[in-house]
Formats: sequence, C-alpha cells, structure tokens
Amino acid sequence: MKINTENLKEDMNTVSKIERREFLKIGFLITGVFAGGTVLSLASNIRGAFASTGEFTEKYPYKPHYSMLIRQNLCVDCERCIEACTKTNEVPSYGYRTIILEKVVPDAIGQKREFIPVLCNQCNNPPCVRVCPTRASYKDKNNGIVMIERKKCIGCKACVLACPYNARYFNEEVHAIDKCDFCFDTRLSKGEKLTGCAAACPTGARKFGDISDPNDFVYQMIHQIEKQVWVMRPEAGTKPNVFYMKA
Amino acid sequence: MDKKNIFLFLIILSISCLAGPLMLSASDEVSHGGDIIYDKPVKAVLFSHKVHAEDLGMGCDSCHDGIFQMASLTVQKEADFTMEGLSKGKYCGACHDGSMAFDSDSQCARCHIGVKGYDRAQGIKSGE
Repeated sequence: MKINTENLKEDMNTVSKIERREFLKIGFLITGVFAGGTVLSLASNIRGAFASTGEFTEKYPYKPHYSMLIRQNLCVDCERCIEACTKTNEVPSYGYRTIILEKVVPDAIGQKREFIPVLCNQCNNPPCVRVCPTRASYKDKNNGIVMIERKKCIGCKACVLACPYNARYFNEEVHAIDKCDFCFDTRLSKGEKLTGCAAACPTGARKFGDISDPNDFVYQMIHQIEKQVWVMRPEAGTKPNVFYMKA
Repeated sequence: MDKKNIFLFLIILSISCLAGPLMLSASDEVSHGGDIIYDKPVKAVLFSHKVHAEDLGMGCDSCHDGIFQMASLTVQKEADFTMEGLSKGKYCGACHDGSMAFDSDSQCARCHIGVKGYDRAQGIKSGE
C-alpha cells in the first residue's frame, strides 16, 4: 500500500477516496490502542502526518503567534502539567484542560509504551468557533488563542461535539464550557512567558513559544527540514497550533 | 513426666530441623524483590527484579553491593536520585550508560510508567 504524503501536505481534498480510506485504516490499526482512545483514535501520528508547513511557514496570521511543541518521546506521564493546569485554572475534578494518552505496543522491541499529551490545538480553522450559535467561542484576533466568553455561553455543547481533539468540557461551577486558553487569562496576560503546563514540565516535553519569532525555541525546532513534525488529525483540516515531534 | 517432655522436645526439634531448609528453599524461589515502583522525584518508575535477576540472571550483589541498599525505596531519599545523577553513573546509571545496558538518556517510557502505570499498580482506576 502506498500513500502519497505529498498530497497530505497540501490539502486533504486532493487525496482520492481510496487513498483516504487506506490512510484512515492505518490510523485505526495503529492508534486504536490508545487507553480509552475512542475520540482520538484517528490521530495518526505514525507515518508522518505532516503539518501544512507551506502555509504555516510563509505567513503567521497572529503576533505573537502562540504555539506549543510536544516532544512526545520525552513525556513520562508524571502529570505535573495536569497538576499545574488544574491549580492555575481552577479545573474541577470532573473536568480537564489537558490529558495524556497512553499508547502501548506489547510487541515492540525495548520500550513498549509512549505517552502523548493532548490539549486544545488553538486551531487556525477552529470547528468549535464555527458551530457556536452565540459566538461565545471565538478566536482572538491578536494572538490566535481560541477563547470563550463565559457570559455568552449557553452550554449547548455543540463545540464539544465539533472539536476533533476532545479538548472541551462543561464546567458546572461557572456554567459554561471550559478549555485550554494557553493560560492566557491566568498567566500570559499577567506577564508570564509560559503556560502553567510548560513551566511545570520537568523533561521539556512541552515547549511553549511564538512561531512567528525566528529566535524562539519552538520556531527553531519546527522549522527544520530533517525533523519530522506532525499535527493531530490533519485530515480534519483544522490547521492546529500544537505540533508534535520526537526530540 | 520428664521423659515425656524430652520426647516432645525431640519431636519439635526434628520437625524444625526438617522444615527449616524446606521453608528456606520455598522462599528462595521468590527471593528477589519483585517489582519496585519509585514515586519520587517523579511518579513513577518501575524496576523489575524479575527482568534483572531472573531473565538476565544477575546476582544480588550486582547492585546490592554499594549501588542500592537492600531495603527498597531508600534511594529515593538521595538528592541525586535524578536523571542527572544517573547520567553521572549513579544508581541505575551505573549500568544504564549505553554500553552495558541501554542509556538512561534514551527510551524514557521504558522505565517511566507514569501516573497511569502507578495507579494501575496500586489498583486505582483512572477517572477517564
């Protein structure tokens, strides 16, 4: 079976139906083993689902253009990121703004498990914003973060269903949908340079930065031709701002 | 009376002499330390005695002769029981240096089982 990765880089619409089906099949086969992985089982990180780098590298629509780089192989599921996030953003026990998936491959040689941090991808083309009937979910015009205006949210959960990354939950305490905002309200707007999770990560698996700044670490890591960088569920066409690679 | 007591004593003595070695050999079969799960400085790291002692056939004194104390988890009190310490050849890093065994700088999740692995080992079901 041959998959034309050139097509994937450009636009999923140019991929033939059969090709697409084969691609999805691979995704199911390999990533279907995620712990509890139903929603994200199509997150194909095998075989290099490339980010649409052509569009990304030439022009970044926001300034700063916040981005997170997940160096997947460095994650050890210590969950200090989740602890920090919960504390910083007052996430209730039934909610979450970030999770860590576990992939287990019993037949692998040597290391048999891998941890995959997942959070809101702050998509450039966010399906959650498109479906919101009250415009409570919106994309910030300056920094591109997908935010929620709580008083406008009616709790219809259309965005929860629309999100391909399972990144949203209903927060009963504030009676609105809650999600990761790259700690904009709690940290960035107060002068902090990092999100709570990135600051708490002991291994450097989570790197936060500005991909429109050539001096930024995340910019430099992503813009290397010899490094494979991918995004979650590229077939959803969301153009995420959370990138994945192996250090 | 005396004779009976001595008789009883002899019976008990003989039983204990016979049973002693039997019990010893029985406990020998599981005498390695089983799974050790470290939860500091991060949750969590799994060390398998089965893999090291049974599968690889290493003797106790390979490690329990200066590198690790016999009592489990005591090493967690050491300030240099960190990845940096290991890369300097301490603790696990004494062997896991890339030549004797895989480098402690590689394959993170081969030893790190995470909070998920820790919870599973403790029989805690995750909320997800």
